[in-house]
Amino acid sequence: MDSHAAGSSSGGSGDGAAQPRRNSRKPKYSKFTQQELPACKPILTPKWVISVFVLVGVIFVPIGIVSLRASQQVVEIVDRYDDACVPAGVTDKLAYIRNDSIPKACTRNLTITKDMKQPIFVYYQLDNFYQNHRRYVKSRNDGQLRDKSKASKTDNCDPEAKTVDGKPIVPCGLIAWSLFNDTYNLIRNNETLSVDKKGISWKSDRDHKFGSDVLPMNFQKGPLQGGKILDSKIPLSEQEDLIVWMRTAALPTFRKLYGRIYVDLKENDTITVQLENNYNTYSFSGKKKLVLSTATWIGGKNDFLGLAYLTVGGICFFLAFAFTLLYLIKPRKMGDNSYLSWNRATLGR
Amino acid sequence: MEAVTRLVKIRTSKTTLAIGDGANDVGMLQEADIGVGISGAEGMQAVMASDFAIAQFRFLERLLLVHGHWCYRRIAAMICYFFFKNITFGFTLFWFEAHAMFSAQPAYNDWFISFYSVAFTSLPVIALGVFDKDVSSRVCLEVPSLHQDGVNNVFFSWSRILSWMLNGMCCSIIIYFGSLNAILVQAVRQDGRVAGFDILGVTMYSCVVWTVNCQLALYISYFTWIQHFVIWGSILIWYTFLVIYGLFSPAISATAYHVFVEACAPSPLYWLSTLMIVVTALIPFFVYKISRTLYYPQYHDQVQRANSKNW
Repeated sequence: MDSHAAGSSSGGSGDGAAQPRRNSRKPKYSKFTQQELPACKPILTPKWVISVFVLVGVIFVPIGIVSLRASQQVVEIVDRYDDACVPAGVTDKLAYIRNDSIPKACTRNLTITKDMKQPIFVYYQLDNFYQNHRRYVKSRNDGQLRDKSKASKTDNCDPEAKTVDGKPIVPCGLIAWSLFNDTYNLIRNNETLSVDKKGISWKSDRDHKFGSDVLPMNFQKGPLQGGKILDSKIPLSEQEDLIVWMRTAALPTFRKLYGRIYVDLKENDTITVQLENNYNTYSFSGKKKLVLSTATWIGGKNDFLGLAYLTVGGICFFLAFAFTLLYLIKPRKMGDNSYLSWNRATLGR
Repeated sequence: MEAVTRLVKIRTSKTTLAIGDGANDVGMLQEADIGVGISGAEGMQAVMASDFAIAQFRFLERLLLVHGHWCYRRIAAMICYFFFKNITFGFTLFWFEAHAMFSAQPAYNDWFISFYSVAFTSLPVIALGVFDKDVSSRVCLEVPSLHQDGVNNVFFSWSRILSWMLNGMCCSIIIYFGSLNAILVQAVRQDGRVAGFDILGVTMYSCVVWTVNCQLALYISYFTWIQHFVIWGSILIWYTFLVIYGLFSPAISATAYHVFVEACAPSPLYWLSTLMIVVTALIPFFVYKISRTLYYPQYHDQVQRANSKNW
């Protein structure tokens, strides 16, 4: 793109110099008001176009390769267990999950496909659970979560605002009420792997959004239990599962961090997972999955970014090549004044 | 004379311009679509009844050929761009609704939405509408047939308007599905944390702000310090706002509390996906512009090209 030092323009309201002593009412000249500020006037030429595409390609392809490699290095094991953990012979899944007298313990076996270096992250993934529905997102009271003195404030929390006898529920609202309550116990070679559940939530949530003096009160006392029951002796800022759950997800398929394992896992290790299949996803055909994953500088396993960079870089190289070919085969001489209409016999458009 | 003007207007359905300097011209000036009054020897009545006032008759040439050409192009571009930027922004909200059960949950924090048209994308449009120039005033006077662009409605035809809207739609699709696939469902950082509603909102919004401002930078043909200041300044204002708003107590900032400094900025995935999405969203328009100006140039493109000195 070419630059010009200043717009070339002859004086606009050039008054004749015929009467030099007359008071002129011509406004004072300034580059700003006469729109003659120094300016860059980019013009697209084939050279610039080709260079831009080559530059974008040269930047994007290496980034794509690096991102893709980082994503391929992540080892991720996903195990869906909500249908497999229903005992054989049970046809009414909803009745099964609601019946407290049926034991919900379930054992799953995971095989590690590649060496996994610590820290290994344990997630639970839910499908078809709309945490981003407007009524659901609204159903919480941030003031109550933060401040002990606001315990009785339960606006927006209906229907989980107060108990039947009118006492306020802390934490109120549907988000807290539907807290995920499956638990996982991971065992390798008869040795329990300890899952560190501290520090799984965001620090700003722990420090500023959930009070360290706010204790759960009257929680899950209603006729329908939606999820986990909270220990009423532990303040909210230490209830990390609740904090992680209340940071609502963006889409109906989401993962939330359950804990971290600080042990290396080797290829072909068998991890036995003793889980409690408590959470009801059967009433809305949701899915529950347990995920074990490592993480690199780019995060978890997602080839999309790497592939997208490679695709766009490739497209740019292709376009650079195509424009080079067009330029060589059909050079359109820029500045060829014969193209201008007033130089041509007929006024062409 | 106003009867003659009315006759011409009705019979030919063309836009009429009348110029006059005396009190007897007032009727004609008001009847015509554009009335140009000349202030001077015969007093100010014509000026008071006119749409434009000039000091001497010969300034009419400059008014029509220079300012007429510039203003037509600026206003047409400004309106088309306005539709584009709002469609790009608004449609990302629609695509999100498809994944939120159409429950009317906005994809962004409320104050992000409120400030979009006010703080992050308003100044560049004003710069486009006030300062953009494709050719200098000397060229406008030398090539009077450039004025025909206005007569033939080159810059504000339906095909132009609809293609800007289509551009906005494509940009919003690229931004939405790009952000979605890049950031969800896996961890976004080395510490294993995943992206929730807040991080997705910030990522998408940043991509929208970058895309619409860079799109403007690709479109305009006249870069002074003002244009640079407002375009890059608007993007900077967005990040500054995000940081400052995130510092307000959670009672005010809700989901935006510390989201940029704590969650997004340290995540390389956030920055890489912003770069990829913005460049991808701009490529279609860029390719179109290249094909147009290099291989199928319109008359004004040829004039512009012939009058820039360096090749």
